[in-house]
Amino acid sequence: MSEPLIVMRNVSKRYGTPAGSFLALADVSLTVERGGFVAVVGQSGSGKSTLLSLLAGIDRPSQGEIWLGGTAVHLLPERALSAWRGRAVGIVFQFFQLLPTLTALENVMLPMDFCAAWPSRERRPRALALLERLGVADQADKLPATLSGGQQQRVAVARALANAPAVLLADEPTGNLDSRTAAGMLELLAVLARDGQTVVMVTHERDALRFAGRAITLVDGRVAANEALLSNVHGDAVHV
Amino acid sequence: MSSLPPRWRKVGRDLWLHKSRTLLVVAAIVVGIVGSGAVLDSWWLLRGVTREQYRASNPANATLRVDGIDGALLARVRRLPMVRQVQARRTVAASAAVEGAWRAAILFVYDDPRRIAIGGVNREDGAWPPPDGAVVVEASSREYARVGLGSTLTLQVGGGPPAALPVAGVARDVGLAPGWMENVVYAFVSRATLARLGVEPSLDELQLTVRGDAFDRDAVRRTAFAVKAEVEAAGHRVRDVDVPVPGRHVHAAQINSLLMTQGAFGVLALLSSGLLVVNLITAMLAGQVREIGVMKAIGARGGQLAAMYLVLAAALGLAACAIGLPAAAWIGRRYAELNAELLNFDLGSASLAPAIILPQLAAGALLPVLAAAVPILRGCRIAVGEALRDFGIAPPATQASRRPRSNGRLARPLLLALRNAFRRRQRTVLTLLTLAVGGAVYVGALNLRAAVRGSVDLLFGGQRFDVVVRLARPYPPLELETAARAVDGVARAEAWAGARAVVQHGDGTLGNAFALTAPPAGSPLFAPRLERGRWARAGAAELVVGRRLVDDEPGLRVGDAVPLLVAGRPSRWRVVGLVDSGPSPQAYTTREALAPLVGAGVATLLVDARLDGAAAQVDLLQRLRGELEARGLEVQSGQLMAQQRKVIEDHLLMVVAFLGIMGQLTILVGGLGLASTMSLAVLERTREIGVLRAIGARHGAILALVQVEGLVVALGGWLAALPLSLVTSVLLGEAFGRVMFRVPVRLLPDAAGVLRWLALVVVVSLLACAWPAWRATRIPTAAALAYE
Repeated sequence: MSEPLIVMRNVSKRYGTPAGSFLALADVSLTVERGGFVAVVGQSGSGKSTLLSLLAGIDRPSQGEIWLGGTAVHLLPERALSAWRGRAVGIVFQFFQLLPTLTALENVMLPMDFCAAWPSRERRPRALALLERLGVADQADKLPATLSGGQQQRVAVARALANAPAVLLADEPTGNLDSRTAAGMLELLAVLARDGQTVVMVTHERDALRFAGRAITLVDGRVAANEALLSNVHGDAVHV
Repeated sequence: MSSLPPRWRKVGRDLWLHKSRTLLVVAAIVVGIVGSGAVLDSWWLLRGVTREQYRASNPANATLRVDGIDGALLARVRRLPMVRQVQARRTVAASAAVEGAWRAAILFVYDDPRRIAIGGVNREDGAWPPPDGAVVVEASSREYARVGLGSTLTLQVGGGPPAALPVAGVARDVGLAPGWMENVVYAFVSRATLARLGVEPSLDELQLTVRGDAFDRDAVRRTAFAVKAEVEAAGHRVRDVDVPVPGRHVHAAQINSLLMTQGAFGVLALLSSGLLVVNLITAMLAGQVREIGVMKAIGARGGQLAAMYLVLAAALGLAACAIGLPAAAWIGRRYAELNAELLNFDLGSASLAPAIILPQLAAGALLPVLAAAVPILRGCRIAVGEALRDFGIAPPATQASRRPRSNGRLARPLLLALRNAFRRRQRTVLTLLTLAVGGAVYVGALNLRAAVRGSVDLLFGGQRFDVVVRLARPYPPLELETAARAVDGVARAEAWAGARAVVQHGDGTLGNAFALTAPPAGSPLFAPRLERGRWARAGAAELVVGRRLVDDEPGLRVGDAVPLLVAGRPSRWRVVGLVDSGPSPQAYTTREALAPLVGAGVATLLVDARLDGAAAQVDLLQRLRGELEARGLEVQSGQLMAQQRKVIEDHLLMVVAFLGIMGQLTILVGGLGLASTMSLAVLERTREIGVLRAIGARHGAILALVQVEGLVVALGGWLAALPLSLVTSVLLGEAFGRVMFRVPVRLLPDAAGVLRWLALVVVVSLLACAWPAWRATRIPTAAALAYE
């Protein structure tokens, strides 16, 4: 069996707040295999977004180790983090976070521009191909404000895939979508996972579990459950 | 554009989509460029023209006043090995009829006006050399003489026949102090014209340039005295020898100080513009924090982001240069023309060189980059998580104790506005400082204006007479005073003595000639303010020296004994007092003390008039002149003090007015800063405004909230400007004192000045906040609550 893509060992995260210190994650250990589709679920405040931020190198753990694709993320200096993140991780945000002054196509080209992962002449065709794959190629030259929520989220996924990252991290990707569009988005993530793309998704919607291969449930910053799911995009999740 | 990487496209579109903010930043930089660039351009033009024209004029290294210069004497001096060039000139005191009154005039006659080798005269208009029977007016006297090319100037020398001469040309002698400032009509005439005015046309000034080191004043002085010995050996009398500071224009100190004052304003304009740019770029970045977070999350490195925003800042700077540099060049040229006129130079076709434009271009492009560097680097170093969580302003709870508290007397909305003003402290302080710098310049200029007026008062306050009449030759004082008292409207009359004097130095050389004025002891018409010592006692050989004379002769200290040549006679004097006597080197004694050296006759009559008003005094002067001439007393010129004062005051206040405009310009920058700060505050608090609207706040309350917040910052700027104005007042007063004459530095503004600054700052605040406040009221509640 190959090495897991993601390894978290005894990871804790503590925040200082005006009201005092707050423990968001407590001694979390878990692994994610390559090509897996993991859903991190839990109530609001359970620590799931914190977990995603730590995986993306957006925040740093107060203690513990985080390994992603053999890189010790917890040891990377701040300067190296951005470059590493641009190549190794693709992030999808709840509120899409497309840059409003760039077109859909330019938003997708932007990570390639920053990381120079592709020669400049290949960036535009690659971005168009990604938009095509996500079904929004016809919106390529439009500004985000003129797109629907679902279209914006698809463009955001295309942008997250721009540099062919090892893992796609999605933070409540359906949180700002209506139920039909949300289902379409989850189906899309499942298809990506089936094609070999590792996906870690944070969600508070139990319905999303029927698309994932594994569910990690957080309660008060601790892993309450870590279970494999027998799932397919047309059926209910089955806990095993 | 399509081949441009997306991040650079973002830079371009950000500029375009936030047009109002882009324009604001560009406007701020334009103000800085125009303020400092105009000053720099003006400095460049003035420096070049004053140096070039002064050097080109080949100023005399020494001037000897000699009786009856003729061709033989000129040839003899020319043969001396240490003399490089020599020429002869005559200066004749005369009167010029201007608007019905006689004003003092000085006529210049050259031995060969076609080839003036020393102290060149430049033709500006019309004829040169002066044709026989016509006059060429010196450019700086044209306005004072109220003449132009083709008009007529009536001249009279002593009791000679008045002659109405056509003005055939205008020429400039850059070595002369401006005629308007000296209250003299300078004119050039031929020998034949001089003869027509009844004057024997001989020449009496020997102008020299020397061989060897012309910049060594002592060496030049030694040469001048060797020439003096040669001239005396030839049988001519030398009345005095004048050796100016070599290579230094008569106004060098004024030029340097003027340029220094301008430089200080340029720095202030650039400083306040820089503060505003820092504020605006910080504000611009504050609106970009979340986008910076997103870009970092998708792989942007801090350096890449910093490069993006620094290029954006440089682009703003270049855009501002495109507008600001031509404007600065235009204003700089106009201001240089004004200053050149003050210093009696002609700007002519002098133009700006790339050497002065390119540094401005570089500074214009770099100013926003430097101003933005710290906020950009700080913004780009922000942690991704922090950037993504950015939702406006939320100061730490620990600061709560330092916020303004309600004591029950402050209304809640007012309290909210007060607290809001200090939520972004750094931004508030920068805005406040920008306004305060503008205010300090404005208040400093107000103080200087008051100080200049006060100084002119002081200068003229000691001169308690209204009319000055100069006689063609000395007369007994009593005869003059009796004639004057016979004229209706004369309250008091005094005849004053005067002579040219020079200091005899220990090495046997002489200093430059200065005017020694001698009112009668106990004169009620003359009471200058003593800076040190006391006034001279009747009949005692005591001197009161003017500050300008002490600048030339630092050895004249109160208490010292000093040997003088007065009207060519050696005598010993004691310095007993120091006064500020205006821009010319002067000393004073009593008429009684001077009489043994110059004789009992005097040639100046001063009158205190009972009549007020220009017309009445002009009439009095005419009647006085008539009375004197009826008694056979030949009048050379007559002048009203009120006219003298107005001419001086007008020109001085022109310089002060420029400073005031610079102050208003910096206040404009402050206003732009306040407008940008408040626009950003409204943007950041969109959600809060939504909440206020949701709980019942009306348009008026939202409007007041923004306006009061702006007013709090503006009033902070008003207050901070008051102590800062102490510094600007001292600097301006000192610099002005060197340019024109010493003014008593006025540190504290008067109540009217403080209130004017308050009114100005309130108006600026209301105008600056009008747009942000209006925008705040236009935000729909639902959109405000949904604002991310």
